[in-house]
Amino acid sequence: MSGAIPTIAEAARLIAAKRLSPVELTRACLERVHALDNRLHAFVHLTEERALAEARAAETAIMARGPSGPLHGIPIGLKDIVDTKGIPTTCGSKLLQDNIPEADAACAEKLAAAGTVLMGKLTTHEFADGGPSFDVPAPPARNPWNTEHFTAGSSSGTGAGVAAGLILGGIGTDTGGSIRGPAALCGIAGIKPTYGLVSRAGVAPAAFSLDHIGPMAWTAEDCALMLQALAGHDPRDPASASRPIPKYTAQLGSGVKGLKIGVIHHFHETDHKVSDGTQRGITAAIGTFRDLGAETREVQLSPLQDWLACGSLISITERAAAYEEWARTRLGDFSERLRSRLMLGAFVTGVDYVQAVRRRRELRAELQAAMRGLDVVLTATQPAEAAKIDAVPKWDLFGPPNFTMPFNVAGYPAISVCAGFGEGGLPVAIQLVGKPFQESMLFRAADAFEKATPHRDRRPALVGG
Amino acid sequence: MPEMNDATFEFLLARAGLDLTDEQKAELMTVYSGIAEMAERVRVPRGRMAEPAHIYNFTEEDLA
Repeated sequence: MSGAIPTIAEAARLIAAKRLSPVELTRACLERVHALDNRLHAFVHLTEERALAEARAAETAIMARGPSGPLHGIPIGLKDIVDTKGIPTTCGSKLLQDNIPEADAACAEKLAAAGTVLMGKLTTHEFADGGPSFDVPAPPARNPWNTEHFTAGSSSGTGAGVAAGLILGGIGTDTGGSIRGPAALCGIAGIKPTYGLVSRAGVAPAAFSLDHIGPMAWTAEDCALMLQALAGHDPRDPASASRPIPKYTAQLGSGVKGLKIGVIHHFHETDHKVSDGTQRGITAAIGTFRDLGAETREVQLSPLQDWLACGSLISITERAAAYEEWARTRLGDFSERLRSRLMLGAFVTGVDYVQAVRRRRELRAELQAAMRGLDVVLTATQPAEAAKIDAVPKWDLFGPPNFTMPFNVAGYPAISVCAGFGEGGLPVAIQLVGKPFQESMLFRAADAFEKATPHRDRRPALVGG
Repeated sequence: MPEMNDATFEFLLARAGLDLTDEQKAELMTVYSGIAEMAERVRVPRGRMAEPAHIYNFTEEDLA
């Protein structure tokens, strides 16, 4: 147990043993919401009554028949670009302040079917891009490790909410790093699954061919439990993969002895040199994996800048297409940051877009070849600890390249896990990347790392960590 | 890298249907080079036969 806040796995075991009531667990989360969320702004819409009703229903069912699975009675939250029937879904935008969907998104449906308790809708950058913004209806989420600092985005509320124990897990979405970035800066785990593994149906698009839906939680094991409920074919999503779903926790506890881990040193040492604190976290993580019996070897890919150019041109164009009607008629209703991103669409020609998509095929082939004979590859998730929230440049797109976009371009699964703390006391992280549909291997490696290090024992001071 | 002149810039904005203030236009002009650089980066020698990533094939579901 991490202080007073259990992981999903811990809570599930206690619930199954009838030593923890879902109502008690939900009330504890609600207490933390009431105590902390005026500083964190993780929630845009708290569904307190519904949560308590769902927790009571879960408790009754569990007392009668036992839990239906490990998520039964677990308090979770959904990023506010995920449609929820009868619950406002604003996408963090003035444009959708009155939007109340008539149906749940596929991921909301699946988590509800697994028996989770919906605590509410979580803060997002507007339409999952461009934050932090101070000119949208709700304030940006704050980092629980230091509320003057940024959470990263766009799944900012999910990152803050999980780190502070307001929820035990939540849904994020990731178009260029929006699950893994907040997971890294908030010191939690977050996985962008293989493209097509989790249905995008009912989730607002950022860029269709780069968008991924995935879980964020305190540990890799918790992410595995959530992914088990989320994964699977959905004919409503044209990109949805039709593949058998393995048991994602099956390899947990197998250790990493004999695993082959590639390290993309040039990403974080040359292409975008990370801070000393982050480099220490990465170096220590590589040492931990070696101590546990894994073999490491160098991996060389095209420079990060190439991956970012490819992903950004695709992202800019697909976003501009998705939101073109509103950009033409209601441009002033977008935040300044998202407005600026949308305007960039005017500069990308159709031929630029197709060249980017051709480049995408080449880059993906390169990663495929580089991973031959390897089980996972490792690099940074973020270049440093979280910056102050008022110091995030508006045009970060043209700054140093990020470490996450390559795996949106490739569609390969990637998880971020906490790798320690930097000089400022905020978390640093590593990113592990697997082969398509081999999330089980990622969970195995990430779980072994978490269990071999003390980073999961510490919560933000504001929650008594 | 091609230069962006005012006429081309105005044409692209009109083509995109964007109605911008002078201030927004001035700011957007400052980042054009960033996009142009990205567009250059994705152009590598590949010949006419190289396929894009999103070329599709029919699945069993199409045939059912």
